This record gives sequence, C-alpha cells and structure tokens, in this order.
Amino acid sequence: MGLKDDLERYREVGEERRQDLAEFIQYGDLGQSRGDEVRIPIKIIDLPSFEYDQRDKGGVGQGEGAQPGDPVGQPQPQPGDGDEDGEPGEKGGEHEYYEMDPEEFAQELDEQLGLDLEPKGKKVIEEMEGDYTDITRTGPSSTLDFERLFKQGLKRKLAMDFDEEYVREALKVDGWGPATVFEWAREKHMPVSKAWIDDAYDELDADEKATWDSIEEMEANVEMVDTPTRIRRDGIEQIPFRREDERYRYPEIIEEREKNVVVVNIRDVSGSMRQKKRELVERTFTPLDWYLTGKYDNAEFVYIAHDADAWEVDREEFFGIRSGGGTRISSAYELAAQKLEEEYPWSEWNRYVFAAGDSENSSNDTEERVIPLMEQIPANLHAYVETQPSGNAINATHAEEVERNFRDTENVAVAYVTSPEDVIDAIYEILSTEDQ
Amino acid sequence: MNYWIVDYDEMNELIAYGGFQNRYPHWRWGMQYDRQQKQGQFLGGKAFEIVNNDDPAHAFLQESNTLADQKAVITHVEAHADFFANNEWFGLFAENPDAAGMLARHGETIREYMQDPDIAREDVEQFIDHVLCLEDNIDQHKPYSPVQTVEERLEEIEGVDPAEQLENLDLSEEVRRQVFDEEWLEAQAPDGDNVTFPAEPEKDVLGFLRKHGKRYDEEAERAVEMTDWQTDLLELLRREAYYFAPQKMTKVMNEGWAAYWESLMMTGERFAGDDEFVLYADHMAQVLGSPGLNPYKLGLELWEYVENTENRREVVERLLRVDGISWRNFTDVVDFREIQDLLEPPEWLTDVVGHLEALDPDDPRVDAEALAAARAGDVDVEMYPWKVLSYEGMAQRHYSLLRPQFRGFLSRIGKSELERVSRYMFDDARYDSIEAALADVDYTRGWERMREIRESHNDVTFLDEFLTQEFVDDNDYFTYEYTHASGDYRVTSTDHEDVKKKLMLQFTNFGKPTIVVEDGNYRNRNELLLAHQYNGVMLNMSKATDVLKRVFELWGRPVNLLTIVKEFDDHDVEVARRRDREPEPREVGKRIEYDGSEVVIRDVDWTEVEHLAATDIDYSTKPDEWLA
Repeated sequence: MGLKDDLERYREVGEERRQDLAEFIQYGDLGQSRGDEVRIPIKIIDLPSFEYDQRDKGGVGQGEGAQPGDPVGQPQPQPGDGDEDGEPGEKGGEHEYYEMDPEEFAQELDEQLGLDLEPKGKKVIEEMEGDYTDITRTGPSSTLDFERLFKQGLKRKLAMDFDEEYVREALKVDGWGPATVFEWAREKHMPVSKAWIDDAYDELDADEKATWDSIEEMEANVEMVDTPTRIRRDGIEQIPFRREDERYRYPEIIEEREKNVVVVNIRDVSGSMRQKKRELVERTFTPLDWYLTGKYDNAEFVYIAHDADAWEVDREEFFGIRSGGGTRISSAYELAAQKLEEEYPWSEWNRYVFAAGDSENSSNDTEERVIPLMEQIPANLHAYVETQPSGNAINATHAEEVERNFRDTENVAVAYVTSPEDVIDAIYEILSTEDQ
Repeated sequence: MNYWIVDYDEMNELIAYGGFQNRYPHWRWGMQYDRQQKQGQFLGGKAFEIVNNDDPAHAFLQESNTLADQKAVITHVEAHADFFANNEWFGLFAENPDAAGMLARHGETIREYMQDPDIAREDVEQFIDHVLCLEDNIDQHKPYSPVQTVEERLEEIEGVDPAEQLENLDLSEEVRRQVFDEEWLEAQAPDGDNVTFPAEPEKDVLGFLRKHGKRYDEEAERAVEMTDWQTDLLELLRREAYYFAPQKMTKVMNEGWAAYWESLMMTGERFAGDDEFVLYADHMAQVLGSPGLNPYKLGLELWEYVENTENRREVVERLLRVDGISWRNFTDVVDFREIQDLLEPPEWLTDVVGHLEALDPDDPRVDAEALAAARAGDVDVEMYPWKVLSYEGMAQRHYSLLRPQFRGFLSRIGKSELERVSRYMFDDARYDSIEAALADVDYTRGWERMREIRESHNDVTFLDEFLTQEFVDDNDYFTYEYTHASGDYRVTSTDHEDVKKKLMLQFTNFGKPTIVVEDGNYRNRNELLLAHQYNGVMLNMSKATDVLKRVFELWGRPVNLLTIVKEFDDHDVEVARRRDREPEPREVGKRIEYDGSEVVIRDVDWTEVEHLAATDIDYSTKPDEWLA
C-alpha cells in the first residue's frame, strides 16, 4: 500500500529534520522548554514556501467584547495556515516538537561541540556493600572461597608430585643407594624428599636392588611418565588442602558520592542592559543550565540580579528584570559568596558561578572587589559573559580586566557575545574551561 | 456523484491524499495521514466525509457515521459537487477534469521514474520537494495550459525569427539576395546584450521554470538542460497545482455553500427525523464550532447574509413603491411585525401533506407532474413533501426572513441603505397598500443571487463584497497584531474595515505574498530575478531564503529575490516600549542572492524596489494613537 510507504518515508524525513541543536540554541524559541524537558522544534511542519512574516501579518479573531489593547495569546489558527486541502480546524499554527530530557541534551551537545566534561562526585551520601570481591584469611565458613582453596591445593599437589615408579626403578640400579638417587632426582628436578627415598629403598627386596646394571640401562628401558598423564591415568587420590590456602570473601564497601552541582547565574539588570543584551544572556545561560542539569545527578540554581545592589530572584523573573540604577558587580559576588557558604559547601557541591552583563562596572570595583571575590570563592568554574551587541562600549572593561587577571588560571572563562551567532562559541568556551 | 462507504483507515488515507485513492509516492501524504490520525485519536475530531472535484464527483462517507450523519453528509457533498460544477474558477483548469485518472497516471509516471535503475529515487523525491515549495507560485487566475514546446521558449526569449518570416513572404531569390542578405539578417538578430524576459512580470513561477529552468551539474560545474524526467515531473506537478488551486481559492464559499444547503435540507425539510435531530444538531455544532476562523462558519454566515440582504432588498423595494412610503419615513410608517405576518407563506406551502387535495396544479409554486403522481400514490408525500413543490414553491417555503434567527433582520435596515435603495427607484407610487406590494414579492430573489455569486466569485471577491460592518459586528470579529510595546499579540481593532482588510490579506493569493519573475537574464548573466510585490507586510525571510535555495535547483544558475523589509531601530523600540507606543519601522530594499553555495542578503537602493511597493494599501490595523 502506497500510503504505508509514504508514512514510513515521512518518519525518516522527520528524523532528519529535527532542528540542529546549535541552530536551536542560537535562534530557536527557548521559551517552549521547561527545566526538565527541552523542546526542540521539528521542521516537519511542511516544506518551505514564500510566506508572510507571522508577526508582521497579524490576524483576525472572534470573541465578544474584544477591546483594542487586549492580549490575544497565541495567534489563532488562520485559514491558509498549513495545507488547505484538509478539513478545517484540524491544524493550528502549532509546531511539532522533539522533546529531549536534559541528559540527552547534554549528550548531544557533548557530541556536537566535542566536550568531555566529567562531573565530579562530591558529597558522600551512602556507604554500601558492593560485590563480594575483597578477600580475607578468616571468616565464617559460608564465605569460604572453596574454588580458590581447591585450586591452590591442586597447584600444590602438582608441585609436589613426581613419578614414584620411576624413582623406585632408579633405586634398583646396581650400586645406587638412596643418596645417589636423591642427587640424581634433584638433578632431574623431581620434587622428591630424601625421607621418601629412604623409605622406598627399605621396602625394596634385596634381589631387586640390582635389576639394572647402570642408570643408563634403566633410563633406556623405563619411561618417565609426566604428572598430567599420570593424573589422567590414575586420578587424584587426594588434594592436599592446607589451612594457609583458605580465603574468605567479604563485600567491597562502596562510597556513593552524589554529583551535586549548584549553578549561580548572575545578571546585570541595570539600565544599560537593553532588550538585545538580555536576550543574549538568556540564550547563553539557558543552554548552560540545561547542560549542567543533564550532566549532574542533582542540580540547583541560584539566580542573582544586580545593579548597584544584588538580590536573589526566581528563574521566571530572572531574564526579564530591568531596573534603573548603576552597576556594581561585586554586590552580586558578595551575595553569591554568602549564599554558597551557607547552603552549598564546597566539600559537597560542584559550583559554577556564571555572570553576565555588558562589562560596565563602577570604577575600580572589578579590580578591588570582584577579582578578589572570584579568587576567594572556590568553584569548578567562574565565567563572565559579556553581551554587547554593538561591540565595545567606553568604560566597559570588566570582561577584559577579569580575563587579564585570570589569564593563567584554569577555572575562569570569559566569553564575548555580540550576536546569537556567538552563543555556541561562548558555551564552548565556558564548558571547555573547567579546572579538571 | 458516486458514493463510497469507507472505514476509518481508508478515510484517513483519502484525506491524506486530498480526496483521491491514488497519488504519487511522497512523504507529505504520510505526514497528513499521521496528523489526521492523531487528530482522530487525541482530539476526537473525526472526518465525516471527503468529496473530490471530478466528473462525476466521488464522495466518501465514513462507515461509522450515524444515519443522521450520513444524511447530513450527503446533502453536504451534493452541494459541494454542485459548486465544483458551476463555479467558473474550476472551469479554468478544464471542463472535465478527469481528476482521478490524471492523478493516478501522475502517480504511475512518478513511480516508474523512482523505480528506474538509472534514476536515483532520492533525486526524484528531492526534485518533487523543490517543486512543491513553489506549488502556490502559479497564476491561479489564468486558465491552465501545459508548457509543451521548445519553440515556445525561444519565441519568448528571442521574439520571432526573421529568417523564418522571410521564407513565409515568398520572395524571389534575387530580391532576397540583394535586399535581405546575410548582413541584414544578422543586423535583425537581437544583439545578445540586455535581453530581458519575460516582457511582463510573470506570476507563474513554476511555468517559467518549466520553460527556462536548467539544472546545475556538479561535475560540469555549470547549468545544463534538465533531464526528461525532470521536465516531465515539473509539468505534472504544475498541472496538479492548477487543478487544486480553485479549491483553495473558494474554500470559504464552498464550505459555506455546502453548510447552507445541508442545514436547509436537514432542518428545513426535516431530513433529520425527530429522533435524529439531536444527533444532527450535535454534528453541526462540531463542524461549526471548531475554533479559530472557521471556513464553514464564516462561509455559512456570509451566504445567509447574502440571502437575507437580497431578500430584504426585495421587500424594501416593494415597500418603497407603496404610495406614501419613502426612505425618510420608512421606519416610522412600516410596522415590521405586520410585514412579517404578511410574508408568511400560505398554509398549504408549509403543510403540503395536509393540503394535498387543495393544491392547485397551475400554481407556479407547485410541480404539477409530481402532484399528480403524489395524488396517485406514486410519490410518498409524507416522506418527501418537497417533491410536489417547484423551485418557486421551495423558495417561499424556506424564505429566509421568516426563519426564527433572522426575524429581526428586516427591521434592522439602516437609513443609509434605505436611501441607497430608493435613490435609483422610479415608479415609487405603484402600490396603494402594503398588502398589494408584498403580494408581488419575488421570493426566489435571494436564492437567485446566491446562484449568481456561486458561479463567478472566489473567496477574495466574496469577502470583499459581502463582509459588511453589520456582519462583523454581529459575529464579534476583531483584528490583532504583534505589538512591540508588550511583546505579544494584542487586539487592535473591531472596525469592520480593519477586519476586512486583515481577512483579505489571508485570502488573497492563498494568503501568501505575491512573487513574480522579473528577469530571466538578470545582470545579463542568465541569473533569475524574482521579486516580492510588497503590500506592506514583509516576507518571512528565513523561509524565503530556504525557498530560494530550492529555486536554484530548478534554475541551475544564480537566483535572486528582491524584497522590502521593515527594520526597527533598537533605540526606537526601547523608547517606544517605555512610552507604551509602537515604534515606526523603516522600509529597506533587500536582495537575497544565492549562487548555489552561499546566501548573501544585500541592502539595495530604494530605487531598485520602489516599483514593488504598493502605496495604496495598508494592512496595518494598529490604532493611530498607538504609534510613536
């Protein structure tokens, strides 16, 4: 049936058309996603065609009592949206999404950017018994490693074993006594004791003691049988188990360390941070949040907004806030330091401190306050993202100062974002910097 | 009309295939099928029927429909078939489309190409994708004619060959050699420089590409002629685009038309039995109640509006001819309740069964033949009372102004309309009384008008002509636009002119921007220049760029698109936002260029795009006081 093929082909084509991750981060609609679920638009809505710009086009709706200025929410489905051949009302303007969880997102980003950030376990949350792989010389008999005991015994047996018949024949050589045979056997590396030879010699009948004229004659007539052949032929009567071979198994103790991460997002919300700058911050920070959420078992986020003062906010507000006032970046680091100290001890938490702004700061604040604070706050990574769409502004030197000061430090990254194109590079710069 | 009963899966397939059983292999049908299925699964929306435009038309009804549904659906699809057959726009493709046969043959052809070992299946599939991106870029207002010959192309590029014309003049060899020698001929040939074609901007972009398109040969690193299968495919898909265009152009009218007649027969003629009526009402609510701008609802309302205004006009014209009634005193003198009573049809028209013996075979409202058959017991009048009535009889039986929901319509007539009607009226004292005037009312006038409109209009002209202030107010329509101050969509206007403007934008040219071929020898380098005829609403630039890349695949040489975009100064946006005002955009000419490897978007001088900007239309509906 033709349509089954068409359906299959559609699924294949759909897979191929998932929006490229990098493109999504740079230009996509990040707002459709939540913290625990990243929604990547799939470009299977249809083939492209010459269309109007959705925003510029506007539309017509229906509803009682509508007044100019009322919000209408998402644009209502319009005739002409999508394909006209079908039934009405069946297609909204909604996009289709490919949903990935943050783990998948992190994995894909790793692949695309070639990152290999290995999250470190920090806080010990549990000691538990692992496999019974460790061994000791004493223990309850139920944990005795019998297999090992048997093997050791077998080895011992093999090491002690020799061809008794062959040695006995040597004692029958004319003129050879136990001392000569013992010497001879030792030369042949036969693990035979002098006591055994003495006993064997005593047991021989007198007439047997001259069976062979010489050792050469005996060796020519009697063949020595090696140990494996003999065991195969005769079996083992007895395995010499020894107490010293006994081993008892006990379980390995595993320390479960949770991979905890706290991410502090700091953003300058002062008057100079206009819409475009804010968007660039969101575009850079959001994927970082997703990525770290995906990488760690447990991720917590602290959002700090600042102008000349700093205060903590919720994520929902974070990217939208706009205040007046000046800028004092150190205020945010002071708050971050306090917050981290109180709630996220370095011994238990991986820490990432990301700050973003347009590099404007009050005079000497960077050098005298921010840099010392950054040095004092232990973290896997400190990053500063400068969002400056128009290139450089006068006196906006925070990023440069930080970069200069920490040139030789492993765990400080500075990235410059002037447009959405730079976002991927900035993310790479930040995530590939971590002090390992 | 042929009827088919199909099961759920078959129905979904038919819908995916646009109402036909056999189409060419393509993933897009799979996508539509998937959507249709999900629609049914999650939204409870099931398709009752699908009907296609063919001769005869084929209607497919879903097996699971209740009997009430089936009746409704049949009345609905009959009206569609009537519309297909009588609307002139459908005639542009062909008088007898032989659609099922054509589409099946297309499917066969494409399947063969895909199976041809010399042609890669992916190549065929990709080529189809390229062409489909341009399926709306045809000249849907012109009749379809296939592009066939090589000469057609040459003619357009070079004009007529003078040597060939000389042959036709039948001159003596001597004259020819002396006057029209080689040198002369050479001088006549176009000098190769600045050959610009087409002479007029060409809206049929697909047709143009069919005539002059090439393909880029990777190995040869230049444009070469398209292969036979490519030209074949291009024409075939173009033909399908032309075939389906009238359906897209008349969606609102056609659905409204079908909903109108369905409702008339189901409710007005009680096709739905007493026990089925609730089911039917439910069905109707489901169809008309789907959210957004629903073509069934919009269409039905407009048709009813057409019918009511025409009928009202008839009544008003009669009344204004009554001695003593003028447009000035009309509302004072006329008692609308009385009029309403006078317009009531005679009892025998509403209750045919009860008056079968009293019916007059000579009354034009009675179908004499059917009446005789009914009296003889050959027609079951209980079941089909309408069978004994003529068209005139039916018109009066279902007179719109008497339907409960339209009872106030007559009295709502405005002074200005009254004045307009009376302005061209002479003979304004023909009747002595209101009774005499109303006795002459032509009850078919509403239906007649509807039939005329159904023949010649499309959605654009339909809306343009009949969407009135009254209609917009009655239906609570409003416009909305994106506002920069709030960063979301806001209601901008409830004024009918604005609503109409926005609606027209959505229906004109399939709701898409108009793109034309301006030059097939752009910069004298055989580049293609497309132009966006800017009407104040800008293009979706990223999609336009994507399409342009597809066009390159069909042109084989660099392609360009001229357009106008709106740009906002960052600072202006900020200032406007703070004042809660809308920033003023700056219109800038742009040219998107694609040479097969790189997209470049350049600002161009305003003089280059000035001719594209339409200054007499403005689709913006933002209140003036919002503007910064």
